[in-house]
Amino acid sequence: MKKTVLVLLGLLLVFSALAIAQGYETMPADAKIIPLGQADTPYADAQPGVRGGIFYCATISNPKKWNDVTAHETSTTQYTGLMLEGLISTNPVTVAIEPELAKSWDVSEDGLTITFHLRQGLKWSDGEPFTADDVIFSFNDLYLNEDVETDTRDILVLPDDSYPVVTKIDDYTVQVTTSVVFRPILNSMGANILPKHALAQYVHKLNPDVPVGTFNSAWGLDTDPSELVGMGPFIVESYTPDQNVIMRRNPYYYHYDPNGVQLPYFDKYVVLTVASQDVSLLKFRNGELDALGIRAADVPILKSEEAQKDFTVLVNPDLPNYGTSWIGINEDIGLAEGTHDNERALFRTRDFRAALAHLVDKQAIIDSLFNGLAVPQWSPVSYLSPFYAGRDYYGGPVTEKDAVIFEYSLDKAAELLDGIGIVDRDGDGWRDYEDGTRVEIELNTNAGNTVREGVCLIVADRAAKIGLKLNFVPVDFNTLVNKLFASTGELIVLGLTGGPEPNNGANVYKSDGGLHFWHYSAADNPTEVEKKIDELLNAGVSTLDNDKAFEIYKEYQITLAKDDLGLVYTVNSAFTYAYYNKLGNGNLSSPVATPGGGGLADICYFK
Amino acid sequence: MKLTGLRALVVVMSSIALLSVIGLGANLESIASNELVPEISAAAGMALADSYAATMTEAELEALAVDGRTIGLRTAASGALAILYRDKTEDEIMAILKGDADPMIRAAAIEPAQVYLVSVTSDDEDFKLTDYLKDIAINGETHEMRLAAAKAYYFMSRKSLKAADLEEQAVTNDSDELAYAAGETLSGFYLSFNPKTQAELEDLAINGSSEGLRVAGEIALSSLLIKSDLTALDFETTLLSIAGTKSAEYRGAYKIALANRYAQ
Repeated sequence: MKKTVLVLLGLLLVFSALAIAQGYETMPADAKIIPLGQADTPYADAQPGVRGGIFYCATISNPKKWNDVTAHETSTTQYTGLMLEGLISTNPVTVAIEPELAKSWDVSEDGLTITFHLRQGLKWSDGEPFTADDVIFSFNDLYLNEDVETDTRDILVLPDDSYPVVTKIDDYTVQVTTSVVFRPILNSMGANILPKHALAQYVHKLNPDVPVGTFNSAWGLDTDPSELVGMGPFIVESYTPDQNVIMRRNPYYYHYDPNGVQLPYFDKYVVLTVASQDVSLLKFRNGELDALGIRAADVPILKSEEAQKDFTVLVNPDLPNYGTSWIGINEDIGLAEGTHDNERALFRTRDFRAALAHLVDKQAIIDSLFNGLAVPQWSPVSYLSPFYAGRDYYGGPVTEKDAVIFEYSLDKAAELLDGIGIVDRDGDGWRDYEDGTRVEIELNTNAGNTVREGVCLIVADRAAKIGLKLNFVPVDFNTLVNKLFASTGELIVLGLTGGPEPNNGANVYKSDGGLHFWHYSAADNPTEVEKKIDELLNAGVSTLDNDKAFEIYKEYQITLAKDDLGLVYTVNSAFTYAYYNKLGNGNLSSPVATPGGGGLADICYFK
Repeated sequence: MKLTGLRALVVVMSSIALLSVIGLGANLESIASNELVPEISAAAGMALADSYAATMTEAELEALAVDGRTIGLRTAASGALAILYRDKTEDEIMAILKGDADPMIRAAAIEPAQVYLVSVTSDDEDFKLTDYLKDIAINGETHEMRLAAAKAYYFMSRKSLKAADLEEQAVTNDSDELAYAAGETLSGFYLSFNPKTQAELEDLAINGSSEGLRVAGEIALSSLLIKSDLTALDFETTLLSIAGTKSAEYRGAYKIALANRYAQ
């Protein structure tokens, strides 16, 4: 009897699975059409493709979970990012915000209310309808639920420490109200939407039968992949630790190409787990991977095989990655201990910091450490951001007309040091403080990072040429981070991540920011320059007009680079990527989106 | 893939044409089986490797790699084995490399071995992977074992390499295999950070003072040839005209380029 029942259930499951796999009978009226190959669109250089094939890429880490809401790490979000979508998204070519699950939105005149109009007729990957209830669930019961451990809540907090109020108007309309104008709200509302029908059972607020915090462990790696549901192009089908994650096409994905072909093109998207980036590179060379993010050092190896094996090595020296690299000058050195008075006074002198900026031989760094594959950096905002001050207007081309350039100049550096009384007083060839003590500064970076170590050596070498003694001491990464947070380092070479939204750097550049590591005491006693930066950052989020915000952020960037100089920027590595030429639309790869790193997975295809 | 059109050439190059079966509408398998110009036969074999890997068993391929009547057939089998060997374990691959199998079979294990060689670890605090690889590249049991280690050595050293250093190491090194691998690596610099003209690469492939330098010229030149507008017929014509002359590496560049056209 039992056996019979089990068999019957099995058959039912099979039929059910077949029904789900059929997908939409016809293209939903609100489907999102990706204009591949259409002139005057961001996709003019792309082509409509054909369905089929298995895409292979690689990673060096296993996922930690399938729960996007509680994930902190890209080893998880590289999969959840393919499974889920938000109300809005950023275009993989232009980085502009565009409609996603919301087909449009209206902003009230006072800028305090955004009304999102959702696409209708869409379904989750299991065939359940997508409605406003999923949006309300995601924000009110997950992201804004104190029981849920999520980083997303941090990007939803408003300048007055309140949160947006998210309300359902009807099944396909959602309203978001804020107490104050907050420009990045649209960006913040791009957080992924989760399926209420699949996850509400784990939320104590909605299901008191489960303990508080149950959601935090929901959709763990022990979850049967058949329970995972999404709106994105792919859904996890299986996971084998240390081997691979196999994702299958979402039969209800709502992106279509101009020919009416439902995306994604690939049948499956497989991520191999490999021991190291070296193994990834070898597997790519063997043809076992279709695409790979590479580094400058990999370029010659791949170039020797590029033509023979029919792949493309994308190298764009003029297109840097997101992020910043810099020398941090600790203006609080010895403050807590009552030591380092000379150093602290020197580091707090703007002209010393400017002299250091003139000592950064960026071209030598680019040539000797990056084989030319890097660009000079001067702004805290990423080059690719539409708010980058090297542009003339929001999203305009980069002209660097207003760039704040401290060109490499030993003469100018020496002149600035002379001007603040840092001169050689005893004739030993090294510059001294006014009291006759030699200026001797420790320069740290994390040991083993050959590029950063190279930067330190170049800067110390140039400084020595004008009698400024910088002692390079590489230290363990964790020790370095401790030095940074404890304000015990003097000069530190490190980097920060970046992105298109300047306000994401508020925790670093605001005087009371948690990562304002070069001048933590500014939280209580900011300089006039820091006060100005605070004001500009607040102003930048208080307008919904991107053009106005651009002008504000331009002044912010120039002020930081010219007057603050707490961080002296060095160079930023260029974008490098490799893909086999059988991969259609791989040519759209950029620092923003790649076939293997997200953003293009739904529109790439096999020729 | 166009394999016809050599008839005119046959008229003007009758002595060479006697050696060649191409131009008679032959398919790749026929060229690999019957072509007497070794580089053309081998190019066809290189282009056949994928289909052989998909249609033949490992045992069949191992037999063909050893006993194949022509270099083209043996090359096709060895290339196909390299694909099948990707699924072998580290122990299996190393056993092939170190063992007494035919060199064509050991050659098939060189590329699959790279993944294992670059992943070697040790509990010894003083262990340094590049030192370990270099030692095998000098003292390995077979040429193929040494070559696999030499390739892995230069792969793992790539972050600190400069073209000028490689130019020296392609001439003078601790083993022939290390010099060869240095030349291979150097070719990538000639195609990226230290570009050379086609004429310079041709000269290097022919007149380079060591095998390593000539290999650098060969690989970089083959890349330029592949990216050119030249057709399979053009490459066949050149290979016919230089058969047995110039240098093996110069002919090798055209062989690689021809294999690329055959595979399209």
